[in-house]
Amino acid sequence: MRATTLRNRVSGQFWWAASVVALLLVIAVLVAIFGFVISRGLPALKPSVLFTVTSGTSGGLANAIAGTFLLVICGVVLVTLIGIGTALWMVEFANPSQRRLVRFAIDVLAGVPSIVVGYFLYVALVESLGWGFSLLAGAISLTIIMLPFVVRAADLALSGVPRALRDGAIALGARPATVTFSIAIPWAIPGILTGLLVATGIGLGETAPLIYTAGWSNFMPSLAPTHSPVGYLTYVVWTFISMPFSDSHALAYAAAALLMILIFTLNLVSRTAVDYWVLRTRGG
Amino acid sequence: MRKISAAALALAFVLTSAGSALAATKMLETGSSLVYPLMNLWVATYQKKNPSVEITTQSTGSGTGIAQAVSGVAQIGASDAYMSNGQLAQGKMLNIPLAISAQQINYNIPGLNNAHLNLSGPVLAGIYSGKITMWDNAQIKALNRSIASKLPHQTIIPIHRTDGSGDTFIFSQYLSFSTPSWKNGPGYGTSISWPAVATAVGANGNPGMVQTCQNTRYSIAYIGVSFLNQTNKAGLGFAALKNRAGRFVLPTASTISSAAGTLVGKTPNDERISLIFAPGANSYPIINYEYAIVNPKQANGQVANELKKFLNWAVDRNGGNSAHFLNAVRFIPLPASIVEKSRKQIASIKG
Amino acid sequence: MDSNLGYAGGAPKARLPLLQRIGTQRVVRFLFGSAATISTLVIVLMLVFLGIYAFPAIRFNGLGILTQSVWNIGDQYGSGHVVRAGITAMQGAQFGGLVFVFGTVVTAFVAMLFAVPLSLLVAVALVYRVPPRLRPLVNAVVELMAGVPSVVYGLWGIVVLVPFIGQRLGPWTTEHLGFLPFLGGPAGSGNGLLASSVLLSLMAMPFMVATIRDVILAQEKSIFEASMALGSTSWQAVTKAVMPSVTNGIFAAVLVALGRALGETMAVLMVCGGAVGIFAQNIFQSVNTIAAVIVSQLESALTDPTGLAQKSLAELALMLFVITLFVNIVARLILHGADRSGEA
Repeated sequence: MRATTLRNRVSGQFWWAASVVALLLVIAVLVAIFGFVISRGLPALKPSVLFTVTSGTSGGLANAIAGTFLLVICGVVLVTLIGIGTALWMVEFANPSQRRLVRFAIDVLAGVPSIVVGYFLYVALVESLGWGFSLLAGAISLTIIMLPFVVRAADLALSGVPRALRDGAIALGARPATVTFSIAIPWAIPGILTGLLVATGIGLGETAPLIYTAGWSNFMPSLAPTHSPVGYLTYVVWTFISMPFSDSHALAYAAAALLMILIFTLNLVSRTAVDYWVLRTRGG
Repeated sequence: MRKISAAALALAFVLTSAGSALAATKMLETGSSLVYPLMNLWVATYQKKNPSVEITTQSTGSGTGIAQAVSGVAQIGASDAYMSNGQLAQGKMLNIPLAISAQQINYNIPGLNNAHLNLSGPVLAGIYSGKITMWDNAQIKALNRSIASKLPHQTIIPIHRTDGSGDTFIFSQYLSFSTPSWKNGPGYGTSISWPAVATAVGANGNPGMVQTCQNTRYSIAYIGVSFLNQTNKAGLGFAALKNRAGRFVLPTASTISSAAGTLVGKTPNDERISLIFAPGANSYPIINYEYAIVNPKQANGQVANELKKFLNWAVDRNGGNSAHFLNAVRFIPLPASIVEKSRKQIASIKG
Repeated sequence: MDSNLGYAGGAPKARLPLLQRIGTQRVVRFLFGSAATISTLVIVLMLVFLGIYAFPAIRFNGLGILTQSVWNIGDQYGSGHVVRAGITAMQGAQFGGLVFVFGTVVTAFVAMLFAVPLSLLVAVALVYRVPPRLRPLVNAVVELMAGVPSVVYGLWGIVVLVPFIGQRLGPWTTEHLGFLPFLGGPAGSGNGLLASSVLLSLMAMPFMVATIRDVILAQEKSIFEASMALGSTSWQAVTKAVMPSVTNGIFAAVLVALGRALGETMAVLMVCGGAVGIFAQNIFQSVNTIAAVIVSQLESALTDPTGLAQKSLAELALMLFVITLFVNIVARLILHGADRSGEA
């Protein structure tokens, strides 16, 4: 039995205080960064900035906004197909050792630095296949980055479908495909959706894999999948802040603020909407 | 898997060709951040008169400009450096001068930014190789007798480019041509092996150089003259450099022209020549041609024609080489004989 | 957030291979199966492709990539060549990656020095000291912090952190505390080791805090209460009873965070100072990391007509890949071990 000496109590109080201070410190840093970006970005975020394209290092962000959305949407479409397909295969078809292998691959993929993915695709797609900087190369890089998040979320959600639901459906004579598509997937949708929204947020904020795949463009993105570079917001933050022009600084802050607002909104939506969905469909 | 990727490729190809048939001709200019301010002025004006072409300008670095022009990713690679024989051995590329530019040596010494320090190649080589580490070093004092007592006892922070850069090329050429130990050591190139200096900092592009120099007291940097407005606004000083004749000269239109005058006549037909460390009492030692690096074989006739049109406009005294554009970035126009040589090269671009 | 550590935390129960017996499912199965092979395929392709691509550089550089500190693509404008192991490079070419490996390891290590203790404290505060009503709010803050893009951290780093370090913290520290190791000598510009590590630790913390919070919460509350009942102070209950029961989870979280810090690119690239050929003598001087070098040097490497500079970068990328792979596998093994002992 340990004695609660005065010394122990005092040092305990000290460490508790330290832990609270650490917590406050972390919150303060986040608030500081958020405040910094918003306070400098919002004044620069004029309507004209949203609707004109970049010319050199001034002008607006319309091309970067459109490019970011286009890249992320294409990436999300690809990752939805591949990610949910992967998860369904693991849950419905794979044997345990196959499952372990794919899970291992997904964990490894999650740990691959994004610049390595970008560099690999640059050599493989942009140069070797001759796609040039392009929407498709950029979207594929985002897909690889997002894939682990989606697969994990979908896998957990699908694995969580109650046995009773499945067994009941099968007892009623439902075909396996019906069980998958009418029982398992609908049940897992909130979890899958959360994974997709998290992945979308990550896609919005990525830079390193896009530099050498999507390139950069001053113009609105064309829908051509190859040979046409695409602009995106993170590029503006990265490059325009090191230009010695106040115009370009303003654009960098505006782009950063826009990214933060988008990602925070997405985060809020995924929290509230998904909770709401679960309440609605499962009756809380 | 192979079938799937083949199908995807085919699909991608069909979509691309459909896309390019509808849209305006797209061209990408990337490379030298020294040329970048000029390109932006050019493209904004050119675009208005020629809506059938969309030119994206990008400030990356001459190394990128050369590499992406060679790989075909960019149509125009802007470079302050001409390509090396080794690079050209990989495939024919054109090195087309667009204008004549210069480089300033900037520094950030509180209190001395309005005085133009006198600096020489050997002293700069000493700073960038870590042999001269303090601003009040005897060698620096010797060049600046009038303000010797004001030089602070502070560590020099040399800033160099981290990206492949024509500015690095012309700066290291100045050091190589003026200082044997530099020539036999790091030598020159768009990307060189910088000597290990404890306080050295790398920066990306000319903009990054200005920004870092402004943020870092007691630093020194080499920056393209097209950024003079920015370096002035940032409150940075710029040095008078010792030329081949032993005089200290500032980068002005007259010293740049005078240096160009002595070497332009020697320009060969492929126009690859260094204008660094020119003879003449009034010659500024770091000047260079700004090149468009262009592949003579373009993707198709349409791109080739638009490219030729734009480049011909760019070198024209009534077009891109007019004082209206060049004065804004403190470049000087190409002499008539060089315009002729450039036009000849441009004419050889095919679809 | 509960899927942070991969699967080991929530391994699903085995499922009857119902659909395996039914032939009509072949098409669906094929489609899903091909989707599932993509992740494995991407990894294999990446390793093989980078390996084959970098092979000439691996032969040319030998161990030099790990032991030498000079990165020199060679004399571009000379005509000479150097041939080693049958591979041609430009005259004077030498691809030593030691400075970058050093920077990668040191920035990540120093970041962990900041982030691990802070994350532990914050996680403990979150579990035991934040009133339940405020908990969702604080959790949301932690999650939002995880969502901030790395370029935004870099932006803040360039504009706020670097000038602070370069103009205030650095000069003051080297002057007054310069006698301490790693604090003396020229303070530099503010771009460097400290700025990189501070950003890396900020970026690593949300993940670590959330994961440590989750592993603590997943432990029986009874451990804490039992320890209290035995007469320890609440802090002792946390450090002597709760923490030891979750060390595996914490260790794995730290390793995963370390893996990310090793590979983080943009934020570090923006504030590291881009050191070449030199090792930082104190925490203020410039560094460089493998990830940052791949971005900043790729295009100068492309100007090497022999192609060896680019292949050497591919070798660095491969090295980074293998390092992070190793760290992540160790993290996984630790978690896996933890799971087994939990089952036993």
